[in-house]
Amino acid sequence: MTTKRANNVTLLIVLVTVVAVMTAAMPDQFLRLGNLQNMMRNLPEYALLAFGIMIAMTIGGIDLSGVSVLSLSGVVAAMILSHHQEIPLPTVVTMILAILAALGTAALCGLINGLIISLASVPAIIATLGTNGLYYGLAIGITKGSHLGGFPLAYIRIANNDFLGIPIPFWVFIAVALLLGLLLDKTALGFQMKMLGASPVVARFSGTKNRAVLLKSFVIISLLAGASAVLLTSKVATMRPNYGQDYLLLAVLLSILGGTNPDGGFSSVLGVFLAILALQVLATGSTFLGFTPFFRNFLYGLLLLVVMVIHHYRDTGAWTILKESVFTRTEKSG
Amino acid sequence: MKRPKTFINRVLHRHETYLTLIIILFSVVTANVAPAFLTAGNILSLLRGGAGLGLLSLAFFVALISGGIDISFPAIAISAQYITVRTMLAIDVNSLVFAFVLASAIGIVYGLINAFLITRFKLPALIVTLGTSNLYHGGLLQFLGTESVNVGGLPTAFSDFGRMSLFQISTEQGTLGISLFFVIFVIAIVLTWFILRHTMLGRGIYAIGGDEEAARRAGFNVSRIQYFIYAYVGFLSAIMGIIHVSMIQYANPTNIVGTILLRVIAAVILGGTSISGGRGTVTGTLLGFVLIVLIDRHLIMLGVPAEWTDFFVGIVIVLGVLATHIRLRLERKRLGELVVERAH
Repeated sequence: MTTKRANNVTLLIVLVTVVAVMTAAMPDQFLRLGNLQNMMRNLPEYALLAFGIMIAMTIGGIDLSGVSVLSLSGVVAAMILSHHQEIPLPTVVTMILAILAALGTAALCGLINGLIISLASVPAIIATLGTNGLYYGLAIGITKGSHLGGFPLAYIRIANNDFLGIPIPFWVFIAVALLLGLLLDKTALGFQMKMLGASPVVARFSGTKNRAVLLKSFVIISLLAGASAVLLTSKVATMRPNYGQDYLLLAVLLSILGGTNPDGGFSSVLGVFLAILALQVLATGSTFLGFTPFFRNFLYGLLLLVVMVIHHYRDTGAWTILKESVFTRTEKSG
Repeated sequence: MKRPKTFINRVLHRHETYLTLIIILFSVVTANVAPAFLTAGNILSLLRGGAGLGLLSLAFFVALISGGIDISFPAIAISAQYITVRTMLAIDVNSLVFAFVLASAIGIVYGLINAFLITRFKLPALIVTLGTSNLYHGGLLQFLGTESVNVGGLPTAFSDFGRMSLFQISTEQGTLGISLFFVIFVIAIVLTWFILRHTMLGRGIYAIGGDEEAARRAGFNVSRIQYFIYAYVGFLSAIMGIIHVSMIQYANPTNIVGTILLRVIAAVILGGTSISGGRGTVTGTLLGFVLIVLIDRHLIMLGVPAEWTDFFVGIVIVLGVLATHIRLRLERKRLGELVVERAH
């Protein structure tokens, strides 16, 4: 447990260092209110996907279909919103309808994932690779690949307005993080999810209804993707099926950075929360430095691998051996 | 026990039998709706156009039976292709042999990097190859650029290779022949089948897929086998990269990635390969591949709009996954094994 908490402390140190370096390097660019607000507006859409991956890893699986659930539910919401003038309802009602439709679509996708995994014993990797193609194909089929726009202004305001100086998407992000923290650490379902991830057989023999836990988990994961779709469509005011398709790597990276065990059984909402903040600061910094998106992807890939290798050394105890050997060597030479 | 009964039973219990029936059914329907389907020209063009996908399916299949997974193969294929083309242009070499050697070397090195990360640090293959896939492709675009090389700029070795075929016959529609791409694919099939069925290495690949720890205790050198698997995936992907550029006569570093993954997964999963059991056959994979190529190329002939193709492929994958795993689950229950719901 101490190493896991140490992970969050490390992340906090990384975050503070990165912010300090950015501020020192670009004082008039980085610490500007506009820039901070921009960062807070941009990160929630992939942060919610990262929390989804975190939950999937906690129960010992993975969800590769999150980005496509985002596509599909975004398209569903956009279809309602782009026809808001033809729908004989007040705009607010249409908006609520669109949001509910997005979340409903997402929940349905999650339910399908969960059913395939629990009823047919299909490993989550394979099941979600398959449904990923299915949901994305559906989004492409509905839209013919083109984009949908013409949303009501009030809807666009959701993600582009601030409350107490902080963008609304960031409030959503904080609320989701708090709820997930409560879910994982304070509820029976959270405990069952971790147990399922640590050992499905033990969970089953301790009276956990594995199938119910799996279904609930995958519905929650997809609901997060659906919420992300609402934030994304509201922020950019249009929707295209390929929006958000790049977020898979980022979401997995953030989940791993946050200390989630990809083999299941352990995760820390606080860890993933800190990882999200740290990486967004880095991403903003890399934009200021003029990095291309390709180079950023390259760095994300590299970072993911390096972090996993470090975790390997930490978990196998090789890290301590290395530290001790360095320590004794300096002692001898001194 | 009577032999004929067991034989029929065995045939009826085989995944491959059902796949063959579905393929025949699909072909009969398509041939009736669209007479162009059964022409020699169409079939030969399917063999030529499908070879690349076939190579990738074999690669993905080998990783999957070992209980691993490699989703970096599109990135490896395009990297091997583009680096090779750019190198040949830079040093002014126009040789197909050079292209194959260089591309294979790149593919194998990239595969070995995957294997190193997976075996040395005991990391999940999916996450490793997701990471390296961005590393390879992001690195390619960042360090070699995004400029595409079109027909005029491409070494002529590629276009010559694209035109080569066996048994050429001249007809009114032009010359017909079996493309060399397909010949390479057949060689890869035989090679893969031979390795899996007739070598200790192949038995090891199945054994790791069944139970890694058991394979280790049975004396298999698990990490050496894994090095082979991922290097082999890289090798086949690199060959596919060269075939791809020779076919479309155009080297664009953003090609392959993104479009082909779904079809490859579909082909292998439809073929009945299971990640959780060390099961699957080359025949099954080939049948899955044939079905996907047929569906992909002929849905339009059947009147399905092009934008719905991905959705249909998705449905086919999900149904294929369900069929394979429900059968597996029933079998386990029959054997009295404990079946516990889990996510992995």
